[in-house]
Amino acid sequence: MAGFRVVDLPRKLLQQEVIQDNEISIFFKCDNVTSKEVIMRKRILTATIFTALSMALMLLPIFSAEVQAADKIGWVGPVYKELSASLTKGFKAYYKKTYGKDVDITFVRPGGWPVCLDKVRAWGGKPDADIFLGAGAPAHEVLKKEGLIVPYKPKGWDMVPADWHGMKVKDKGDLWTCFAPWIVTNLYNEKVLKILKLPAPKTWNDLLNPIYRGNIVHTLPYASGTMHEAIEILIQAFGEKEAWRYLRLLAAQLARFSTGSTDTTQLVARGEIPIGIAQPQMNAMAARKDGFPVRDLLPEKTILVPEAVALLKGAPNEAVGKIFLDWLFSMDGQKYVLEGRYFAARTDIKFSVWEKEGVEMAKHAQKALGVDSFWDLKVDFIEYDLELATKRWDEVNKKYEYEIYRKWGELKSSLFLIEEVEGEINAAKAEKMDVAKAEAKIKEARDLFEIDGKYAAARLAAAKARALLVSP
Amino acid sequence: MSRGNISLAALLWLVIAFLVIYPLSILVLESFKIAKTGGWGIGNYIEFFQDAYYLKTFVNTLFLSTLVLLTTTVFGVPLAYILARYRHWGKTVFTALILLPIVLPAFAGVFAFIIFFGKYGTVNLLLMGIGLVEKPINFIYGLQGLVFIQSLHMLPFIVLGLSAGFTNIDPSFEEAAEVEGASGFRRFFTVTLPLCTPSYLAGAVLVFLWPFTDWLTPLILGQVDFLPSVAYINISYHFTDMHRKYMGIVAVVVSSIVCISLFLLARWWVEKKKYTGLSKGTTSEGRVIEPSALVKSGAYVYMIFIAILVLLIPIVLGLAAFSRRWVFEPFPTYWTLENFRLILLESPGLIKNSFLFSGIALIFGIAFGLPVAYLIVRTRVPGKDALDFVITLMLAFPGIAIGVSYILAFWKGIPLAQYWIIMPIALFARRLPYFLRMAHSSYLQLDPSLEEASEVSGAGKIRTFFNISLPLLLKGVLVGVVMFFIMAFQEISTAVFLYKGGWETLPIGIYLNWHRGMEFGIAAAMAFLMIVITFILLLIISRIGGGVLKAAWGAGEN
Repeated sequence: MAGFRVVDLPRKLLQQEVIQDNEISIFFKCDNVTSKEVIMRKRILTATIFTALSMALMLLPIFSAEVQAADKIGWVGPVYKELSASLTKGFKAYYKKTYGKDVDITFVRPGGWPVCLDKVRAWGGKPDADIFLGAGAPAHEVLKKEGLIVPYKPKGWDMVPADWHGMKVKDKGDLWTCFAPWIVTNLYNEKVLKILKLPAPKTWNDLLNPIYRGNIVHTLPYASGTMHEAIEILIQAFGEKEAWRYLRLLAAQLARFSTGSTDTTQLVARGEIPIGIAQPQMNAMAARKDGFPVRDLLPEKTILVPEAVALLKGAPNEAVGKIFLDWLFSMDGQKYVLEGRYFAARTDIKFSVWEKEGVEMAKHAQKALGVDSFWDLKVDFIEYDLELATKRWDEVNKKYEYEIYRKWGELKSSLFLIEEVEGEINAAKAEKMDVAKAEAKIKEARDLFEIDGKYAAARLAAAKARALLVSP
Repeated sequence: MSRGNISLAALLWLVIAFLVIYPLSILVLESFKIAKTGGWGIGNYIEFFQDAYYLKTFVNTLFLSTLVLLTTTVFGVPLAYILARYRHWGKTVFTALILLPIVLPAFAGVFAFIIFFGKYGTVNLLLMGIGLVEKPINFIYGLQGLVFIQSLHMLPFIVLGLSAGFTNIDPSFEEAAEVEGASGFRRFFTVTLPLCTPSYLAGAVLVFLWPFTDWLTPLILGQVDFLPSVAYINISYHFTDMHRKYMGIVAVVVSSIVCISLFLLARWWVEKKKYTGLSKGTTSEGRVIEPSALVKSGAYVYMIFIAILVLLIPIVLGLAAFSRRWVFEPFPTYWTLENFRLILLESPGLIKNSFLFSGIALIFGIAFGLPVAYLIVRTRVPGKDALDFVITLMLAFPGIAIGVSYILAFWKGIPLAQYWIIMPIALFARRLPYFLRMAHSSYLQLDPSLEEASEVSGAGKIRTFFNISLPLLLKGVLVGVVMFFIMAFQEISTAVFLYKGGWETLPIGIYLNWHRGMEFGIAAAMAFLMIVITFILLLIISRIGGGVLKAAWGAGEN
């Protein structure tokens, strides 16, 4: 019972020691020879001192490195690791070359856009970073509205278009600027779909086909900005009522919810779940580069997401922050953006030219997009109301969470029962039975499920419909 | 009772008050805050127990705990019996292997099993390859996987407790039962097992509490409706939505209360149930049986089965660590050292941080743990039992509670969390019981007359401590030191709340890299590196002497 307390009876102790030594011989080797003990202890003592000394030696360079003051910059944001690694490499080299000094870069990615945004909010006016790196327009609009970012117009700002197919690409007041545009897509694993003998789903409605049930994954809108945008797209494209109906039905198709959009990517890439909803367009390119058999799916209704950058208010290293922004929009910086597996934003970029200059990702980008510059893409976007999206940001996330995510089990069992009863009604119809009442009731159940989101009531109505089928 | 002892006790209490009591009371206070009105009240708790969703997560967690406990018991009892009672070859190897999961980080196991048992993992690909199944079987995504992974991780606690129990039973009890005519099974269930209840319960309570602590495994497996995962999501995804945050804190407090009350209940129960035999018949080895050939081979098959499951973790992670793009093939085909080059050369910061933080935590641990052990064992300072009690309670506290309470307590008022020193401090506070138990039990084994002799001969207390006590304690203390280091090294559930850019440790690096999918080779390499480091440290312990470890770990006492 020593887990809680060792009994303090000396007699018992002696006995215990004997037992323990035998336990030692079970688990570990141990010598009981007393004459050796002394030498052993000396050795242990020496070893301890030696270890302590060598540890101290190991730690020395860490402390001395901190004494030498290098310039500092901090980034916070939801960009992927490849991009942050590439930008770190590029900016460090540039800084050393231009200013003859090292720059220490810290990068935190607390989570998806909403989580990063919350992090900056939590810091109040005293941010622990200088640059908000990444996230689409709605996140930056929220930052702007809450006064958490300050304007800065980097050199090369003019080379980024102001808007594209109706979507704002940079802020008119210079508060945020897009450095890496992309489109909201879905992702699928072609190898796994082939094994499962399933065709690739082309449109939003294809995803509701029962053949895909249990083979789709997406995350929660508050965990990932891309997922939030996908919901916003559906609402704006199909209308509020239809969109929520769609989302409820889609939820019943899911294998599970992932913990973030990166989690979705890895689940699809590794084939655990073959279809992933709401993925940045470049994810397919990045995964293919790593040898994963995935492809992106441009659904018929989608939008551009201007992955943007902004200077935080109260930034502790504002001057270095501005140098970074200038560099990020230079040709050199944009190359590191592409090498970081994001598409570059300047309009004067040609992938074919860069490929000749030795930019490794240029070839993959060209292959993934099929055009020589991102802005040459021909896509049909929806009319996206950024202001409206910004305003109801939290509301949409909350509604999804409370009405769909938290009731997921209930939702599924309700829909499955409705489908079962519908099948029975069809069978009864084939036998020329009178199903008028049951049919009316099951329609009521569907409406309760799809329109009102009242899953329990829908289930009850479906049960009643079944009863009506037997005794009308 | 000297004045020195009292001031020492006061100093130690001060540290406990600052690092344990203060943050945890802030945590509890915070849970009573009402977001809407800015006032105080029990509204959050009422909502928690009325909201169908939270209630569901609570019930789910209880259900999972029960399942994990059942599974570990069903698999653990025969295992412990075989290990303790049967005379067989390879006892040391099997014991060491089966105990391995204690020191491995829990999430390393999850990743290994996903690679091996996932939908397109090794097993499924092999099954599909020989045409046994057409579509992959879902082995681990779901409750079954969660129970399997958590049970394997917690199995050692049951086995350790029970095997010590089996060894320590006075053989004459069982012999008496046999003489009276009880059959093997009847004897086992009416005499042997009841005698082992105390040592079983000590491990069982830790097993039962694990699902209330582990938020990461459910998250990775996509099963989030469990209390710790919901608490994690509420707190780390919604820190500006005050109401959500408070509800998350309520969830943390509720699971802490469950943990602590069960822990205390078990402690009280064990205390009550402790059997004392009058005879002195205990042999050093306990009762060892030479089983029949059939039973023996069955026992081997069983032990090898469990050992293989455990060994899968380092083997699979090792394969993944030395390869790239190991997907859609049962075994890797593209071998490389690239993953290790990336970890060791391009981002050595993680390894450096891990050693630095655990090392500093260790120094705190020694500086604090030795005096506490001294106070508890050698003095009669009032309140020393309470001190022991508070520190032992830290074993039952979920890591998430400590992480959250530290970020609440040390952000604004005392801005400790803005400096990296918070990381080792948190590791120190969380893992302290591990060191204390070792120091404690080795102190108990030290005969006070040696110290008294030294003092009689004129040496002062401090001189006595350094010249007499410390060298004699060294073995136990060193085991404690290494054990503490291992446990601090693999800590993630507290650290994940506190780290900032540049403070990432190896476990955090593993978690982050795994989530970025393409990098699972790097995550595996990091996990493999951790396993290697842990293994080397374990070897060191075994050189020094593991008996102290076992005695102090949990259930060693008879």
